Amino acid sequence: MSGTNQFEPKIVAFVCNWCTYLGADLAGTARLEYPANVRIIRLPCTGRIDTNLVVKAFEIGADAVLVSGCHPGDCHYSAGNYHARRRWMLFRELLDVVGFDTRRLHFTWISAAEGRKFQQTIEEITDKTRALGPYRPYEAQAAPPPSNGAAVQRRAPEPDFAGVKQELRGAARRLLEEGKVKVVIGYGASGPVFITRPEDSDRLEWNENSLANLTVYLKRPEVRALGAAAVVVKGCDERALVVLEQESQFQRENLQVIGVACGGLGQPKCDACDTHQPRFADLTIASAAAQDAAPGDGRYAELERFLEKPREERLAYWTAEFDRCLKCYACRQICPLCYCERCLADKNRPQAIDTSPHRKGNFAWHLSRAMHLAGRCAGCDECTRGCPAGIDLRLLNLALARAAETQFGYRAGMDPAAEEIVGAYSLQDKEDFIR
Amino acid sequence: MSERISKNDLRQRAGEWIAAGKAVAGPVQVKPGTVLYAPLAAADALLLDGWIRPSNSIKEFIFPRHEALYGYRIDGAGITLDDLPAEIPEQIIVGAHPCDASALPILDKLFNWDSRDDFFNRRREATTVITIACTAHDEQCFCTSVGLSPAAERGSDALLVDSGDGNYEVRILSEKGAALFGAAVSGAAVDSIAPDGSALSPAPAAGAPERRFDPAAVAEFAKEHFEDPFWREHALACVGCGACAYTCPVCHCFDIVDEGNPRGGVRARNWDACQFALFTLHSSGHNPRPAQGARQRQRIYHKFFMYPEKFGETLCTGCGNCARNCPVGLGVLPLVSEICHAESV
Repeated sequence: MSGTNQFEPKIVAFVCNWCTYLGADLAGTARLEYPANVRIIRLPCTGRIDTNLVVKAFEIGADAVLVSGCHPGDCHYSAGNYHARRRWMLFRELLDVVGFDTRRLHFTWISAAEGRKFQQTIEEITDKTRALGPYRPYEAQAAPPPSNGAAVQRRAPEPDFAGVKQELRGAARRLLEEGKVKVVIGYGASGPVFITRPEDSDRLEWNENSLANLTVYLKRPEVRALGAAAVVVKGCDERALVVLEQESQFQRENLQVIGVACGGLGQPKCDACDTHQPRFADLTIASAAAQDAAPGDGRYAELERFLEKPREERLAYWTAEFDRCLKCYACRQICPLCYCERCLADKNRPQAIDTSPHRKGNFAWHLSRAMHLAGRCAGCDECTRGCPAGIDLRLLNLALARAAETQFGYRAGMDPAAEEIVGAYSLQDKEDFIR
Repeated sequence: MSERISKNDLRQRAGEWIAAGKAVAGPVQVKPGTVLYAPLAAADALLLDGWIRPSNSIKEFIFPRHEALYGYRIDGAGITLDDLPAEIPEQIIVGAHPCDASALPILDKLFNWDSRDDFFNRRREATTVITIACTAHDEQCFCTSVGLSPAAERGSDALLVDSGDGNYEVRILSEKGAALFGAAVSGAAVDSIAPDGSALSPAPAAGAPERRFDPAAVAEFAKEHFEDPFWREHALACVGCGACAYTCPVCHCFDIVDEGNPRGGVRARNWDACQFALFTLHSSGHNPRPAQGARQRQRIYHKFFMYPEKFGETLCTGCGNCARNCPVGLGVLPLVSEICHAESV
């Protein structure tokens, strides 16, 4: 091996302190020789291994990454490895969509007694990675030139605006007059409005621009300071409300929900919508358009078409998409479920994600954003609508939503009583990708 | 002297410039519904008609969103600084709008005020701006309110005015423009806006957006209403992203970051925006602009009061990108309209 000019891959192994690290130690004390290509990074538990660490390892020159911990049932913190397993299931789907070569990412369970397995694993990964050649970082990809694509035809927006608008105004006026709420968050002529006096209720509108998911304002301190609120939601927006409630972000009894049954507003998400009717609103305003709207299907059709492209093409596509990212964080700010007081991207000790809008920083940001919404994203597409660069974040969200549905039978925001999939685990979770 | 050039010839010229190794950029439809100023790999992609304006601005070719300033190495001997290659290729922007081009002289003042910013200046010098006078506008356009017009010449090296028959009338406005078109300068670009915001540029053509407000009145309001519930009330919808500032032709705030490892790395500057809560956050935890109202106020103040006071001109070219890109319907024009409404009540 040594002395020749063959490629020597760098392999980063994130291992748990209790099992795999001791397995590696045992390999050493037992004088089992394994390739020196591996750099071991010891962490308390696989549950601690943030997916961003994996991205980071590739950023700084790894050719392959191994994540390894205790066998199921052996976790020294009871369930850290089960939580990790779930995250990896979702993360692998995300990587697949962005065209990352998942053959460079390995998962194993290696116990403290399995020095031999550690040795064999490292040998195998080294051989495989050597065959794959050096990791060609995302930054080194050539972005395809932009092309003028054809416009996409969408379902026509619903015509029944005036009736809904009148009912909305009446409902807001009543709530404010009765003193049930201090503010009604609704749609105005050009954007969201905050009605605090009954006589201002006529500023409320309902039209084809009533697109924003107003539940985003439940996290804004300036809006919270106004007091008890009523919020206007469409059936799709309401799913975010369900997730926020599951995550204890507001007290349902302190919020009045004015639902609008909507027949679709011409957005991509409207084509496959099956939540035209709000389900948990205190009051629902019916619209004729919603009555006629058949529940759409094929909600992952767009994603499935995209996945038919070869991996290299997918990578090139996202290279061009992410290259346009300005890091304006509209995607994060407009998201009802991105409510962290301080986002990971805004922390600099350590700098988990480069703040620069260069390829490295954009790739890490978009993967992190999507992962933090895995199993939570309610599919309102606000991130995509808000992006001034037209980046199709919707596809990433769809990939994770599909993973949640196919692997766990779960759709975020559909059932407030359902157990969330992130932060939970099952002993039956699929682990065919873990050795 | 004025020349004429057909649209096809312009495209062909752009192709020749690309072939000659110049960096050429212009409006491109990057995907359905999204038009951006972007580098042109081929002149075919250049979009000349059928849209109002790109969602971004040409500032990013002169003041890039990310720019490495210099490298550094840390070793036993201390810290060594390395200049990065400063080769800036000759750059041509074809199809800029007057509201983009006129931003450049405004930015010149800022980047050459207390010190000369070489990083900005070297790109500025290497760039030739060929502007096409606007023939269409939408409800967000308000160039005429800030002293410009759809045919404003300011900041352009050449201005092409559509004569309606598939040709452009070429007005050469600088030596750089003359060099590109092989013609003589036909007249110096009007280089300043009167302090009262009145147009010194050629009178707006028919079809220009109507004048919506008086910048001086906005400055007056800002001066008198620093502490005012107006700002809190009108910033409630703001979600605190940087879409307005990042797509604005004149917003120019930046952040300095070091990216590297313990042995060295690169010092870079990245765009930053006043709408982020983090923008003014002190390390003590104190934030002098603690709420979105103060941040929206800052944006209007800077554009209509502070910048005019310091540099004698409005920090806004009326392009309307802020409102077009705002996901919640805010932006300069919506907010200023509210100010004018509040003034008149």
